[in-house]
Amino acid sequence: MKFFCTKNDLLTGVNTVQKAVSSKSTQPILQGILITAENQKLTFAATDLEIGILCDTPANILTEGKMVVPARLFSEIVRKLPDTQLSIELRDYTLLIEYDQSNINLKGYDPEEFPLFPELADAESFTMPTALLKTMIKQTVFACSSEGSRPVFTGTLMQVESGTVRLIGTDTHRLAYRIAEIPENPELHFYGIIPAKTMSEIYRLLKDEDEIINIRFNKNQVEFEFGSVRLLSRLIDGQFPNYKQAIPQMCETKTYLSVRSFLEAVERASLMAKDNHVGNIVRLVLKEDAMNIAQTSEMGKIQEQIPIRLDGKELGISFNAKFILDVLKILDTDEILMELSGPFSAAVIRPLEDPNYLYLLLPVRTA
Amino acid sequence: MTQALVEIEELLASVLREIQSLRSYIQVLEEENIRLKRDAALPAQETERVIANAERIQNVAQENLLRLYNDGFHVCHLHFGQPLEGDCLFCMGFLRKD
Repeated sequence: MKFFCTKNDLLTGVNTVQKAVSSKSTQPILQGILITAENQKLTFAATDLEIGILCDTPANILTEGKMVVPARLFSEIVRKLPDTQLSIELRDYTLLIEYDQSNINLKGYDPEEFPLFPELADAESFTMPTALLKTMIKQTVFACSSEGSRPVFTGTLMQVESGTVRLIGTDTHRLAYRIAEIPENPELHFYGIIPAKTMSEIYRLLKDEDEIINIRFNKNQVEFEFGSVRLLSRLIDGQFPNYKQAIPQMCETKTYLSVRSFLEAVERASLMAKDNHVGNIVRLVLKEDAMNIAQTSEMGKIQEQIPIRLDGKELGISFNAKFILDVLKILDTDEILMELSGPFSAAVIRPLEDPNYLYLLLPVRTA
Repeated sequence: MTQALVEIEELLASVLREIQSLRSYIQVLEEENIRLKRDAALPAQETERVIANAERIQNVAQENLLRLYNDGFHVCHLHFGQPLEGDCLFCMGFLRKD
């Protein structure tokens, strides 16, 4: 194998696939990146057997071949290389990188030991705009759980039916739901829990210039293809709970308020929660035309007031401030509608201008 | 004249026998009717009883689930019986009656 390329070509490939490199695996080969040189392009591939990423970059290939390089060291080397033409050659499982009057010899692994990327059998597919998928991921993935003890909540449910696609993320204390139309596929049906790590990677890798993303799936795996990148992921086993049952259909109080005012007030109130052993809990008191936001800790007390419009009963309710901030930060709207049904029932937050999104969060029971 | 009276007497005796046999037949029919009415009324009463019992059991079950949840255990099907860590959206959705 011998080829010429630039530092940027290598960097693009390494940066794209590095998150799929296994950091814990006992198999050394999974801590490497497979580089394949053929058809005047380099293909970078990495996998931890849960997620696999492939990325093509152009290169001037003199001799075709493949090699597995240790990901961390190769990545650090590539980052430190000068911006000059690189000559890369494989000699006896050793990669010889030549630039200017210098060279690096890097030992690698046997590419035959690298696991093959499976082709999706009996797969169906649909396409959607990348900008829409990015927004949907941003609006839902943050609500997923990071606790591995409950695997179904470490992923977002993707549900495709009746010409719509839904993403739902939840950790059982809050739930983010987003729906969008894919009218060209009314007969398509898919129900799979995609690991949050996969979704975050897609969000990171999707670029504005990639207009369309192709999503293929079968019962066990899902594949995303966009630009020069192909990302494969297994689906999480298990049954996602009936999220529709968790969404209240009625409420006692409706309040309309500015996202920015609410966000800034809760952020300031959160400052007081540092070193607060009971957690970052803010107390909201909703009155006819104003909402009081209060936080008390050993460090002191803060009291904020913002104007609101209120329909229904006045009430006082406490929330984990992070749960409020997380959603306010990802909304692209000026005003929200918050629906409440007493101090112990779940609240629903909806952007006023976007009927396709809702966020459900449970209050905190305080003495 | 005597002959005529004899014929009338025989006719009346025949009618009487007919009436007697009809009476026992009607008696059987009436008994049958009472039994059928009673049988027809039973399923309706039984259904009402079953519905009332189901409602009672449902209320008791709902109360038991609510008590279990308030005692700090999941009642949603995913984690039923496991200890709660804070409230659970799915348990509350399950317990709520919109």
